[in-house]
Amino acid sequence: MDIYLQQLPQQLVNGLTLGGVYALIAIGYTMVYGILGMLNFAHGEIYMIGGFTGWWVLYLLTKSNEVIMHAALVISLMIIAAMAVSALVGMLAERVAYRPLRNAPRINLLLSALGVSIFLQNLVLNYQGAKVRSFHISSLIPESLRVIQIGPAVFSFMRALVIVITFLLMGLLALMIKKTKVGKAMRATAQDIEAAAFMGVDVDRIVVLVFLIGSALGGAAGTLVGLLFTQVDYYVGFQAGLKGFTAAVLGGIGNIYGAMLGGILLGLAESLAVTFLPSAYKDVVAFVILITVLIVRPWGLMGEKIPEKV
Amino acid sequence: MKKGILIAFSIFTVLCFVGPGYSADVKKGIHVGDAGAFTGDAAAPCMEIFNSAQVAVDEWNAKGGIQGVKIEHIMGDDAMDPAQGMNVAHKFVADELMYGVIGPPMSHVAQATLKIYGDANLATITTAASKPELTEQGYKHFFRVNARNDAHGWNCALFMQKQLKVKRVAVLNEKVAYCENMATQTIAGLKKLGITDILQETIVGGAKDYSAVLTKVKAFKPDVLFFIATTAPDQAIGVRQTKELGIDAIFFGTEGARDKKDFIQASEGAAEGAYVYHFGPDIYAIPAAAGYVKEYESKYGVLSGFGPPAYEAMNILLTAIDQAAKDGDISRKEVVENLHKIKNYEGILGFPVTFDQKGDLLGSATYFFKVVGNDFQQITVMTGK
Amino acid sequence: MEAYLTKIRSGHLNRKIRLAAIGMVLLIAPILMPNNYWLRIYTMTGLWVMLSLGLNIVAGFAGLLDLAYVAFFGIGGYIFALLSSAQLNIHLPFLLVLPLSAIITMGIGIVLGSTSMRLKGDYLAIVTLAFAQIFKLLLLNLDTPINITGGVNGLFAFDPISLFGLKIISFEAYAYLIWFFAALVAVGSFRIKNSRFGRGWEAIREDELAAEAMGVNTTWMKLTAFAGGALIAGATGALFASFQDSVFPNNFDFPQLVIVYCMVILGGLGNITGVILGAIFLSILPEFLREYGAYRMMSYGLILIALMALRPQGIMGQVEFLLKKKKRPDKDDSGRLKDSTALYYEKHRSEILSSGGPEIFSKSNAVILELDGVTQDFGGIKAVDNLSFKLHEREILSIIGPNGAGKTTVFNLISGIYAPSEGSVYFEGAEITGFKPHQVVNAGIARTFQNLRLFNKMNVLDNAKVAQFCRTKAGPLSILFHLPLHRREEKETDQKAKEILNLFGTRLTGYRYDQQALFLSYANRRRMEIARALATNAKILLLDEPSAGMNPQETIEITGFIKRLRDVFGYTILLIEHKLNVVKTISDRVIALDYGIKIAEGSYEQVACNAQVIEAYLGRRRQSAC
Repeated sequence: MDIYLQQLPQQLVNGLTLGGVYALIAIGYTMVYGILGMLNFAHGEIYMIGGFTGWWVLYLLTKSNEVIMHAALVISLMIIAAMAVSALVGMLAERVAYRPLRNAPRINLLLSALGVSIFLQNLVLNYQGAKVRSFHISSLIPESLRVIQIGPAVFSFMRALVIVITFLLMGLLALMIKKTKVGKAMRATAQDIEAAAFMGVDVDRIVVLVFLIGSALGGAAGTLVGLLFTQVDYYVGFQAGLKGFTAAVLGGIGNIYGAMLGGILLGLAESLAVTFLPSAYKDVVAFVILITVLIVRPWGLMGEKIPEKV
Repeated sequence: MKKGILIAFSIFTVLCFVGPGYSADVKKGIHVGDAGAFTGDAAAPCMEIFNSAQVAVDEWNAKGGIQGVKIEHIMGDDAMDPAQGMNVAHKFVADELMYGVIGPPMSHVAQATLKIYGDANLATITTAASKPELTEQGYKHFFRVNARNDAHGWNCALFMQKQLKVKRVAVLNEKVAYCENMATQTIAGLKKLGITDILQETIVGGAKDYSAVLTKVKAFKPDVLFFIATTAPDQAIGVRQTKELGIDAIFFGTEGARDKKDFIQASEGAAEGAYVYHFGPDIYAIPAAAGYVKEYESKYGVLSGFGPPAYEAMNILLTAIDQAAKDGDISRKEVVENLHKIKNYEGILGFPVTFDQKGDLLGSATYFFKVVGNDFQQITVMTGK
Repeated sequence: MEAYLTKIRSGHLNRKIRLAAIGMVLLIAPILMPNNYWLRIYTMTGLWVMLSLGLNIVAGFAGLLDLAYVAFFGIGGYIFALLSSAQLNIHLPFLLVLPLSAIITMGIGIVLGSTSMRLKGDYLAIVTLAFAQIFKLLLLNLDTPINITGGVNGLFAFDPISLFGLKIISFEAYAYLIWFFAALVAVGSFRIKNSRFGRGWEAIREDELAAEAMGVNTTWMKLTAFAGGALIAGATGALFASFQDSVFPNNFDFPQLVIVYCMVILGGLGNITGVILGAIFLSILPEFLREYGAYRMMSYGLILIALMALRPQGIMGQVEFLLKKKKRPDKDDSGRLKDSTALYYEKHRSEILSSGGPEIFSKSNAVILELDGVTQDFGGIKAVDNLSFKLHEREILSIIGPNGAGKTTVFNLISGIYAPSEGSVYFEGAEITGFKPHQVVNAGIARTFQNLRLFNKMNVLDNAKVAQFCRTKAGPLSILFHLPLHRREEKETDQKAKEILNLFGTRLTGYRYDQQALFLSYANRRRMEIARALATNAKILLLDEPSAGMNPQETIEITGFIKRLRDVFGYTILLIEHKLNVVKTISDRVIALDYGIKIAEGSYEQVACNAQVIEAYLGRRRQSAC
């Protein structure tokens, strides 16, 4: 028993970090689902592209593995660039692949999204190669803060930074949705796209905005993960995407707070699963949780049961 | 419906005439195949294999090819799927100008395609498939320039006992054929040597975060962590996170980690003092390899452990084909026989290559390196004793 | 929708020639293959065809996005491996292993399916995807502590197939065996498509709610589609395992799923011929692209995107109607120019309005339907509040009231789409509260929808035939083997459907039988909606604003028609209407609702002069008439 208790604090830290990342990815899925009712399978690849963008910026700004500017500035630039590029890719996908299918049956949209995902993944493979890219982050972290110890748990500086930035971004998003006019328009469109159009909301623009924000967050997540785990390669999108939308569905797809909750819960569940079970089964646990929740409470933890109007 | 049948029928008819039908005259052309997973998540090491083999082919072609005929290097992607691997095998076998194949590097695909290549007696040289059973099935066409993992596993166990002198061992392996089999063999070896305090867990390649399982390892308090993953980047993350979590064990990685850029540099100092094993000595320290290293790295980037054996294998294969072509006529049988005759081939691997009766590399030694500063230093060689 | 019967009538000989040609090709193709490579491709193509046809049932016919399909393929393969090898030391003969693999896989499919049948489309996709991932992980990890699945190394060296003394080992033998089964699956697909099952599935794909409301047990039917797909996938898996003489986790992974989906979509979801061609095309194409690695995968992605955006119905589309030689609507079978529909109608107007027989039915005093204290509470808003009324046999009862009064909700409550929060509904004395919609239809109550919910891509005749689903009971076995039960029921269904459609004159008959419902004119769509409800052999019809959007001429006609439904054919009718002259003309009684509460009940004159009704709905001007 002792061997489990020993691990617990550290596993909680591990879980929270992972969870924060999952949450960021989940938000992208959930926002698009809320507005268009579609699962954007390509979101994982958008996350991956964000990771590569961040790496690229870091690469440009480092000479012989030493950064040439202040660390905080470098990290900010990385994240902003990643968000911008990912947002662009997301909007492109919307315009080219999804908008023509606005009124098509669900299955068409899903399959098109699948196509975009496969296309993007192999596009990057083709032009970037299969090699993993490393983030040289040691120069970004002040020496004294390299490893922080809080009780029995160990934080690396990057981990703490990532947790902070993740929650910051989520907080900003929540604020925007609740307090701004645009946020209100988004909520309206999510409830009833036609009615919102009749009320004078430019729904096409809102949809583009949703893709922009969701993809940007995904891109930020990609860079943050790159900073945290120091690597990115063309295949990371697939697994991350899977986990991300597991988290989104868990929390209640369409509900942004649900995505945050779902992400964190999923991260924690995985870490705890590794603690108590052979680590090979950690992914099995995640999916079993997903299936159980969907059967028992299909609208997710924070979703609402919406009766269909006949 | 009628239209449909017509279309289907015409497709079939057309395809029936598309199959090639050449003879075995040298002048007609020389093809060598490369079977591997060039898409999917093993694409990086497999592309390194392909590109290294390409360097060899380019060098031969620059010197006029074989008997004046240019050599064509053909890629056959199996995406790690044995069914597709078999399609590739059939395609290569059906190509009458095909005289040898490099690969498949994955043991499970190699297993699935063994019979196909074997029945056609098409020489196959793998650079990474390490499952021992592959050469125990009586086929004569299958060769390896890498060591089998029963040899490696035993040597690694010996190394941990004799050199590192450890009592508690944690083994983390990826769930792929090479790593899984390596883990099994090493643990068997350790047990035979009397080391029984072993923790085995699995990791997912490319997952980027091993903190959860490493935390579990930490609680086990091992003396050494044997981290069996395929690629250097994964092991870089492994060693980095091990250090971050404050795990006080020696880090021991695989051949894939013998990579200055993607292991030592990528881990930014965390790899200091770590060990890796390899079936060959340091490629950068071998004068004979300098040309190849320069050529490869100028075109394709930094080498990890997968490239050199492929270059070597392609050269050996082309040598065998060249010998067979001296009389103007090549047959696959000749190529296979020539390969069996290869003795003490001096290439770039730093040790002479000889194939034993079964097609295995003779004298499988395992070389052990330690990370010192920005480089690998050879510490010792284990030869099974 | 394939008009199988038309083919038989006019192309019986053609069909025989076609089938013979296909048979010839299948017999000589393996011999024509120049080498083992092409023979293998040919055989693999057969496997892909089988696999695609199985997916076509789940995703094509029933429209279920099943992302676990490749896992079923794998389950079949591994079961074969475990029952025919040294792994568990079980060595069963092939003739036993093949059906076992298929049936066990189907069983697992049923279990998985039953957990997710209540979930909407996207959730099904997620659950099935999660299941596929779990399956792969299990395959990889169930090799310790006991080695069941062989882990990453897979399983191999299986017992050779022995069929009635013949050993199937050579490539040619496998080719024949596999294409034999592929042909079986193809024939089975065609048969099941043209049956109550096929129609039921298509109805579910078009509009699940409407299908349920027309008597199709959607939960059960979705499950059978799921199970059918799993059955075929399992059988294909067993054949594949034997062919490859090994199974590995990598054989049954995401890329294979993508490929089989591309095949089905390329061919057109639901279109059997298209799917077969799509499978053949996409099975052969990668061989030419094998050198191009990532470009190959990129092109799959592009295919999916482009197809979905530009031609979602695939290269052949869902409608073979477009391929068949179109009959000219203005010429009859002998080539003579026909009268236009309108002209025809004018000529036979009085006939149509009064045909059908003597008017013998009128309202009786027996109560056939009763609502007792029914309330529908949507969490704060009571759409229907403590409503009670009785409906008598062969009565025409109209419900009027302002929009949002809860009229359609009453229909939804009776027809089972909602279960009331309080109260009960009785039909012929028995309680039907809480019945599922298809059970209500089975009991004898059918409804139409205010906003028209036709099965748009199905043709007129099939729309009517779907309604007979609950009156027929042929199962898959009967259908696949063309047993007498199935043949008889098909004939009866066809007759009944045509009988009903004939009631509307020539509008929904003749060439219209083959026309997709979405091409009908608005008024015809409304008529089709009613025809469909009639085709369920109902006793009570719930008609929700049947004349909405019709011009006065059409309104008169439909009004007369509804009256005749009671007078001549004996239906009981519950009617929601806003056009008061219609209500006045045909109702025996009227009920007025406002905010979910019954505010008046009685004859039209009584209700129309009720002060509350005037206030809420009719307006002051009516007062003068009272």
